[in-house]
Amino acid sequence: MEMKQIYVLAALLLSFVARISSLSITVNDVECVYEYVFYEGDAISGNFVVVDHDIFWGSDHPGIDFTVSSPGGNVVHNIKGTSGDKFELKAPRSGMYKFCFHNPFSTPETVSFYIHVGHIPNEHDVAKDEHLDPINVKIAELREALESVTAEQKYLRARDNRHRHTNESTRKRVIGYTVGEYILLAAVSSLQVLYIRRLFSKSVSYNRV
Amino acid sequence: MITMKLPPFFAILLCTSPFWGNAPVTEAIWLNLPPSGTKCVSEELHNNVVVLADYVVVSDDHSSAPTISVKKENATHGQFAFTTQEAGNYLACFWADAHNPSKADVSVNLDWKTGIAAKDWETVARKEKIEGVELELKKLEGAVEAIHENLLYLKSRESEMRIVSEKTNSRVAWFSIMSLGVCISVSVLQLWHLKRFFQKKKLI
Repeated sequence: MEMKQIYVLAALLLSFVARISSLSITVNDVECVYEYVFYEGDAISGNFVVVDHDIFWGSDHPGIDFTVSSPGGNVVHNIKGTSGDKFELKAPRSGMYKFCFHNPFSTPETVSFYIHVGHIPNEHDVAKDEHLDPINVKIAELREALESVTAEQKYLRARDNRHRHTNESTRKRVIGYTVGEYILLAAVSSLQVLYIRRLFSKSVSYNRV
Repeated sequence: MITMKLPPFFAILLCTSPFWGNAPVTEAIWLNLPPSGTKCVSEELHNNVVVLADYVVVSDDHSSAPTISVKKENATHGQFAFTTQEAGNYLACFWADAHNPSKADVSVNLDWKTGIAAKDWETVARKEKIEGVELELKKLEGAVEAIHENLLYLKSRESEMRIVSEKTNSRVAWFSIMSLGVCISVSVLQLWHLKRFFQKKKLI
C-alpha cells in the first residue's frame, strides 16, 4: 500500500492583537469544510465574514457565495453574493454536512467562519437513558443559549476586524494620496515654468514666440 | 509513538467525543486535502491563550502512516497544545507529501479549541471534588465569564476604532484645506517667477 505522509506545521505569523476569533480560511476558488452531525434534528448554526477585502475602486464587490449541502448531496442552505452573514438551520438527517465558500473572482479572500452543531436531548432520550435527568435537558438548553451568545460575539469580532481593515486602508490612503498629490502638483508646476522659460529662451529662436 | 491503521468509521468514532447529553460538542471540522496542495486555517489570538488542537488523518485508500511526532512530522493522529507567547495570527497548515503519489483524497479532522473551551475540566472536577450537575453549572459559569470578557474586549476595540476614524476625519479636512493652500501658493510662485523672468528678458 502506498504511504501517505502528512506533515503538520504550525507557523507563526505576526499581525496584530486579537482576543476571540473564529477559524479563518483563504478562499481562492472553492473551499469546503465538513462537519459531522450526530443526531437528526440538531440545530446547525454559524456565521462567516469575509475579512480580507481589498477593494480598490468600487465598494460593491459581489461578495462570496455560501452553500450547505446535506449528506445526501442536496443543497440545504444557499447564500449568494454576501460579505458576511449568519445562518441557522435544522439538520434533516445525521451525517457529514458540507459547508462551501465560493469566490467568483480571482483575488483570494480570507473568510473567518464559525460553525456550531448543537444537540438538546429531548424527553424520549431521557426516558431511554437512565443516566439522563430532566435537569440535563435544561442545562443543555442553557448551554445552547450561551453558545449562541458566544457565536454572536465571534461574528461581531470578525466584523470589527473587517471594519478595522477598511479603516487602516482609509488612513493609509488619505496620507499617501495627499502627500503624493502635493508632490505631483509642485512637480507639474515647476515643469510648466521650465517649459515656458524654454519657449522664450534665445537659443531656440528669437522671433518664434 | 503509536502506529495505527484507521478505517474511516473508526476514525469518526475515535475523534469525536462520546455524547451523553452533557458533554459539550466541540467544533471539529473536516478538511479535504487534494493530493497536491496545502490547506491552511488561521486564527488571531491574544497573548497567553491556551490552544488545544486534536487532529486525525483519514486516507481514503486505507493507507497507514507510521510514527507520530509532536507537531512537525508524519502523522495520522495526534494532539498538540501550546500557550501563545505573543499576539498574532496563528496558522495551522496541512499538506500531503506523498512519496508515491496517490489519487485518493485525504481527510483531516481538526478539533481546534482556544481559551475557555480548552480548559481541563477533569482536573478542576478532581481538585474541587465536584461532579455531575455541579460540574456542568461550573462550566456554564466559565462560559458566562468568557462572554463578559469578550464583551469588554469588543468595547475597547470599538473605542480604538472610533479614535482612528475621528483622526482620519480631521486629517481629511486639514489635508484638503492644505492642498488648496498649496495650489494657491504654487500658482502665485509660478506667476512671480515668470514675471521676474520676462522682466529680466526685457519682454515686459
